[in-house]
Amino acid sequence: MVLTTGLLLLLALHLLANGVAPQARVNKPSLVLMDAVKPLLEVESQMADDASGFLHNYFALVEVREENLRLKQQLAQLEAQQRRMAELEAENHHLANLLDLREALGMTAIAANVIGEDATGLSRTLMLSEGDRQGLQRGMAVISVDGVVGKLIAVSHEAARVLLISDHNSALDALDERSRARGIVSGIVEDGLVMKYVDRSEDIRPGDTIVTSGLDGIFPRGLLVGTVAHISREGPGLFLNVEVKAAVDSRQLEQVMVLTTRQPAPPVQANG
Amino acid sequence: MLLLFSLATFVALVLQTMLPRLLPLGILVPDFVLILAVDLGMRHPRALTALMAFAMGYAVDALSGVNLGLNALLLTIVFVFAYWFSRMLISTSAAIGVMAVFFGVIVSDLGNSLISSGLAGGHRLNALMPAVLIQAAVTALLTPAVFYLTGWAARTVGLRIDGASR
Repeated sequence: MVLTTGLLLLLALHLLANGVAPQARVNKPSLVLMDAVKPLLEVESQMADDASGFLHNYFALVEVREENLRLKQQLAQLEAQQRRMAELEAENHHLANLLDLREALGMTAIAANVIGEDATGLSRTLMLSEGDRQGLQRGMAVISVDGVVGKLIAVSHEAARVLLISDHNSALDALDERSRARGIVSGIVEDGLVMKYVDRSEDIRPGDTIVTSGLDGIFPRGLLVGTVAHISREGPGLFLNVEVKAAVDSRQLEQVMVLTTRQPAPPVQANG
Repeated sequence: MLLLFSLATFVALVLQTMLPRLLPLGILVPDFVLILAVDLGMRHPRALTALMAFAMGYAVDALSGVNLGLNALLLTIVFVFAYWFSRMLISTSAAIGVMAVFFGVIVSDLGNSLISSGLAGGHRLNALMPAVLIQAAVTALLTPAVFYLTGWAARTVGLRIDGASR
């Protein structure tokens, strides 16, 4: 054993000391071995590359995933911001319209947000975000850019309730813009508006515009109430049955204007 | 008990005033406060809870309609009706509650419409009836859930429920 080991060591020293030529016989086994090992090494190398690539890709994917999540969050934030900006723009546009309306009317008014609806759904009322601290009082007129909304029926310190003109307890003095036929516009139980007490002889037609007369002392003259949808002359009564399509859709209301200046009733002109 | 139902009424009123803004439900918004009044009438019938039903109606009046006291009256009637109904059928089960709520909504809605329009809108009630019936059905369907929630809340805070579901 010791001897064999000693011999092998000496052989190795010899080979080292004298060098090995490429074509030397002693070199052949190593070359064969190289050839034999090569495919394995190739496979191993390929596997290593694959593993490396997999790991690299995995880490890259983790990074991509994280980046993807981050970008998605950014996108969601930007979308929310965009929606908020669009909402603000719409609100700004709406408030600007209300401001224009207030200036056009030449009356003092307070803008208020609609924050709730009637608790039972049977009456048609809305809750506003402003109250008597902001100067609102019971009986004040509430309008929007589209027309008449209603009047305040209850005012607390920080909130107020509006009775919509579509409620069956509501009534406002109005007239046909074209024929000047007068009547009382009121809501009905099921939904919608009717114009009551219009004389049968009056010239009133579907599509006519109905505006406030200003005679009730609440709403200024000439505010849009709605358009005539249907007229019925049936029955023996003295008056026409006039259905009016409201100009304002209360379900779409977000901001309204409360007129804080009471509209004085126009003086009654004596005939003759 | 009163505190619990006050809180429940507050939540119910917030829901009833907010839901129509979020969903186009109109009259079809469930009348949660009426369910609470029926719950009081069936399972907690006392003088103080009758007063509570009145106060709940008064709270509804603050957020609805033009006639202060109308819903207070109607909810007190519903409270009494629920008490009478459950005693007549000798049961305070959720099924009886569903029926009591169904009829209670009809009574309340028709009473509301008739009284607030000074009986002038009586001839229009046939037009209103389909919506009233749907609201009654929707509210009645939610009754077991509300009963369960109030029962659970009462048990959680250690209150005893008289005549629990049999």
